[in-house]
Amino acid sequence: MIEKLMSLDRRYVFALVGLAVIIPTLLMIRFPIYVSQPTQNIYDFIEGLSEGEVVMIAFDYGPSSLAELNPMAIAVLRHCFRKRLRVIGMTLWPVGATLGDTLMREVAHEFDTTEGEDYVYLGYRPGVTNVLLQMGEDISAVFAEDYSGTPISEHPMMADVKNYNDIALVVDLAAGASVEGAWIPYTYTGYKQKIAAGVTGVIVSQLYPYLQTGQLVGLMPGLLGAAEYEKLIEQPGKGTAGMSAQSIVHLLVIVLVIVGNVAYFTTRRREQNAEVY
Amino acid sequence: MSTDIGVWIAAFLTLCIFSFLYKDNPFYKFAEHLFVGVSVGYGIVLTIHQGIIPFAWQPLKNSITGEAPLWRFFVTLIPVGVGFLFFSRLMPRYSWLIRYPIAILIGMGAGFAIPRAMETSIFEQMNGTLRPFGVINSLSAGEIIGAVLMLIGVVCTLTYFFFSVEHKGIVGGISKLGIIFLMIGFGSAFGNTVMGRVSLLIQRVDFLLGDWLGIVG
Amino acid sequence: MRRQVPLVLCFLFGITMTIQYYVPSRFSEDLKSEVLNWGLIIGPFALVLAIATLVRLHYTRIQRRSENWPYSIVVFVGLIVMAVVGTVQGFTSQGISGGPFEWIFNNIQVPMDATMFALLAFFIASAAYRAFRARTLEATLLLVAALLVMFGNAPIGDLIWQKISPVRPNLPSEVRQWILDNPNLSSRRAIIMGISLGAISQSLRIILGIERSYLGGGE
Repeated sequence: MIEKLMSLDRRYVFALVGLAVIIPTLLMIRFPIYVSQPTQNIYDFIEGLSEGEVVMIAFDYGPSSLAELNPMAIAVLRHCFRKRLRVIGMTLWPVGATLGDTLMREVAHEFDTTEGEDYVYLGYRPGVTNVLLQMGEDISAVFAEDYSGTPISEHPMMADVKNYNDIALVVDLAAGASVEGAWIPYTYTGYKQKIAAGVTGVIVSQLYPYLQTGQLVGLMPGLLGAAEYEKLIEQPGKGTAGMSAQSIVHLLVIVLVIVGNVAYFTTRRREQNAEVY
Repeated sequence: MSTDIGVWIAAFLTLCIFSFLYKDNPFYKFAEHLFVGVSVGYGIVLTIHQGIIPFAWQPLKNSITGEAPLWRFFVTLIPVGVGFLFFSRLMPRYSWLIRYPIAILIGMGAGFAIPRAMETSIFEQMNGTLRPFGVINSLSAGEIIGAVLMLIGVVCTLTYFFFSVEHKGIVGGISKLGIIFLMIGFGSAFGNTVMGRVSLLIQRVDFLLGDWLGIVG
Repeated sequence: MRRQVPLVLCFLFGITMTIQYYVPSRFSEDLKSEVLNWGLIIGPFALVLAIATLVRLHYTRIQRRSENWPYSIVVFVGLIVMAVVGTVQGFTSQGISGGPFEWIFNNIQVPMDATMFALLAFFIASAAYRAFRARTLEATLLLVAALLVMFGNAPIGDLIWQKISPVRPNLPSEVRQWILDNPNLSSRRAIIMGISLGAISQSLRIILGIERSYLGGGE
């Protein structure tokens, strides 16, 4: 039995993982979400802004991470539009350009918003460092036109937005090193721009030092962060829905690790006993 | 079930990729290669329309049409010329010319990075480690323990990475403590990585069951 | 001309931009702005390197009829269709927003990219089962930290805890947060400082011409 467990074909594990995702998705179970302080901080900061203030959202991710970051982007955009804040979207990732464009239009249509007055989507420009530093001087020097080619001077909301001085908060939704490798060194350090981050589970642990120093206002951890933010704005979405399957797979992985270790140590003890006799 | 042809194509390609879980097969290979081609095609479009046209073509055009001063034409022409040196890669005899744009970009990047990395990742991090001790009177017992633990953790882990001294005696002990902090850090990263990877699977299952088959809302 | 001029250019751009940070004046800000502009103009042309490498690799595979060469045709079909559709659409009034370019991206590129990474969920579970062993003290710490963070990340963790104990209903979430805020933070900070020191010294070596690997081989 133990030997069988030790040499289990990995495709059985694959099947278990598949079922652990499919069954809770079909059953549509919902678990209560506990909101962590770093996510609460972002919500509180945005909640404290006055109508008309500007929030910049950077869609620094691609399709490989949209599962975690799209729900976050939707929740933050809903919060901003609900509070009648003005939103600027942009990205440092080429693959983020189309994702951000689609998403901003979708969420903006849920509210009574007008493009150019309530939101502008600038799109992508290559050259991370140069883009961020040049935007600190003059956004229009980098984005003379928005993503669809309209000169940004034609958008009324950009009339009083020249550079970071006119932006209350940057929310970087990141799947790579754009938070600690770009936004913090080039916009926080250079221009004291307030930055919040929503990141994938893979990189969340490495951003805690920046949270403690205040270089980050707050931090949303992966799909859980999206679910937390959805709870705060009282509008459940894909984050909350996904956390049910997430819970079951987590339990499965924990059980698999424990079973694997029990099997390993039992086999090892048997082998040691066999050597003694 | 969806009636959108786009959703059907997306579902077919999703299943092609998932088929790799059983074993490598022609469907997976087809999707994998299509992905590479489409991604590079996408990169070309973005670089042309969001990079070369706004940064190189538009300023040159504006100078000629009078929307920008004529001297900008010549100032812009220099970096455009340097950029074109990337094409020397295609001509083996002149491929050394590619060193010019690379040297400029690397030098520029290093110059921008040095002072900002010092401030962001060295000074601010040291400050963050020591700051709680400056306001220690206003901290609770738990916060003081946390601050001491953080200082110990940072010093011990840094010692582990300090290879100029042999890790023996006290230094060895400190670096061993550093390993403990590192392991807990890596463990937490693993825990979060599991959450990240599972999220991606949940989204694809949600697409197949919801957007494609229409079983879940 | 072939090696010395690039080294001088690298030095000049690097040292000027380093010093500029510490000398904030109108002139230095204007200089920085112009240099930034140069970088923005030069950078996109580097795309030619990526295309040249990919085209050469797959063209050679087709030419030599190497194993699986028909798939290289698929690469070219995907590349040409996407590049032509997007480039042409970009010159219309809507730009690259919406239209067939976005359709191909959303229905072909997105599902493949997203699913490719979704496969990792299966592999990480399998790896955890097969390789995550408490063989030593260090490995045990790693394993326990990972399990606690996973238990705290899953909302069901708090529910299970509430069935076991009436005190501190969100203990698993709080434990996870404590690990991230304390031991994780300390070790990450040390890693960040170490990496940054390495990056800064490497940058200085590049600017000063000690590190020249970016020039490649040959004369």
